[in-house]
Amino acid sequence: MMPLPVITGVGFITSIGHDRATVLRHLRELRHGFETVEFFGNPDLPVKVAGTIKGFAFPTTNWRDWSWPDQFSVDRELLRGLAPHGVYAVCALQQALAEAGLDLADLSDGTTGLFCASAGSAFMLGPFLAQLHATRGERGNPMGIISSIAGTLNFNLAAHYKISGAVCGFVSACASSSHALGYAMDEIRLGRQQRMLVVGAEDLTAEGIVSFSSLRALSHNPDPNTASRPFDRRRDGFVGTGGAVAIILEDAAVARQRGVHIQAELIGWGQAGDGHSVAISHPEGAGLREAMRRSLADASVNASEISYVNAHATSTPGGDRSEALALRAVFNANGATPRISSTKALTGHGLSLAGAMEAAFCTLAIAENFIPGAAHLTEPDPECEGLDLPRTSLEESPRLALNNSSGFGGSNVCHVLRRPA
Amino acid sequence: MKTSSLPASVHSTPAPNPAESLRHLPVSARAAFAQFQDDGNLSSLDPVVLAILEDFIPRRSAVPLADLPGTTRLIEDLGFDSVAITEVVFFTEDLFGFTISNEEIISVRTLDDLRSFIHRKVALQPGR
Repeated sequence: MMPLPVITGVGFITSIGHDRATVLRHLRELRHGFETVEFFGNPDLPVKVAGTIKGFAFPTTNWRDWSWPDQFSVDRELLRGLAPHGVYAVCALQQALAEAGLDLADLSDGTTGLFCASAGSAFMLGPFLAQLHATRGERGNPMGIISSIAGTLNFNLAAHYKISGAVCGFVSACASSSHALGYAMDEIRLGRQQRMLVVGAEDLTAEGIVSFSSLRALSHNPDPNTASRPFDRRRDGFVGTGGAVAIILEDAAVARQRGVHIQAELIGWGQAGDGHSVAISHPEGAGLREAMRRSLADASVNASEISYVNAHATSTPGGDRSEALALRAVFNANGATPRISSTKALTGHGLSLAGAMEAAFCTLAIAENFIPGAAHLTEPDPECEGLDLPRTSLEESPRLALNNSSGFGGSNVCHVLRRPA
Repeated sequence: MKTSSLPASVHSTPAPNPAESLRHLPVSARAAFAQFQDDGNLSSLDPVVLAILEDFIPRRSAVPLADLPGTTRLIEDLGFDSVAITEVVFFTEDLFGFTISNEEIISVRTLDDLRSFIHRKVALQPGR
């Protein structure tokens, strides 16, 4: 029989908390993690809100100036090659490993792999390139490349944790860590690895967030209480965030043998391209619709069996509309009405991090017996007619949860998670 | 053979001010550097060199570098790797304004080697 991937540990550095209990409280009580911010020291920028990562500070690109909450330790040897999101990732992975009862010695025998996702660090890359230009190529931080390009997470974490199994990075913009998680499932299902560490992370910097302002993708709403309101008629763009989430996947047989608590099972995933636009969702959500169907087929479940959908919905006018239509086609058209919410209303949009973050939220929902509500939703878009978008979190125990992600170029990825029997 | 020029698309900040980087070193090392700038005495640089090493060492030494014998090896004994050595080289080049070749790097193996190497390079600087 094919091995079953299960989740035995999760770790969070997010705008809504840096530990399981805090994240759980924010999800249950629908407390957001937004603050008013000023990017680039420019009060004239219309983008005023971000999902801030409290207690961390990265005032310069020099790691000697960085700080993080006291409960975390980041080795000096590791710091020199990290971007800010690498620091988040180390802190998230520490939590996830502790939850799974694993330490360094458990990770290096070749049975554990590592899949990561981030967009790299524009914050680190900019000054590195500026120095190269200024010195006409004669000077550059020796760790400039390592700390800044996409892949920096897997470079650093694989070396530090002495991973000798599969190591790879995934780049599909806002579907990146969902791809990482899906392919990590396959590594276990194919019997190639017994355990996979999946890490998604992003910087929270002006360079990383305001770049999306050029695309007119960010909310201009200055009110942290309403700027991110997925599926609401008055939504006007997404609110950026950063952070990191780590997920420990194991072959269920190995997890049982170790006696570790299984929080959720990952029973299927699917992906499909829109084949439509480099930056805009298919107007009918065609790719996402197909990705949902493929994930359900992979999991051998019907749409009517899904209890909860963690939607990708970022609070952009076009993207949310496409997803609403895709959800209606997959569920309502088949007489199914799962609970649906986008937790980006609370966290902001974590870009490459989003898929792993929301898979971890689905894990919490399953393990802790609740369904996160659709925060900040007061006037649902008419396109959402028929979708069950609960305004408060519900004390219900989802048996099956679906996690949606979509990225640039029309990459759509979905996972199906199941409550352990 | 014809040499072609690759385009450069971005022009921005000037090279960093080397002395600015010293702000991360201990007060005693910064004072020693100021002393060197004032009197030109090469031995004033020794605590600066050790502070730079301590700033870039991958894993902190249990014993202060100043208390270790001069024969202590950078790689085998102190755990420096090629990346950390490169960081020290770049920092030192920027601080003193000279260039260190790969051959010169390979010739430096111990604390004493490094101290005397820095003395020699600084002594050769124009204007001294």
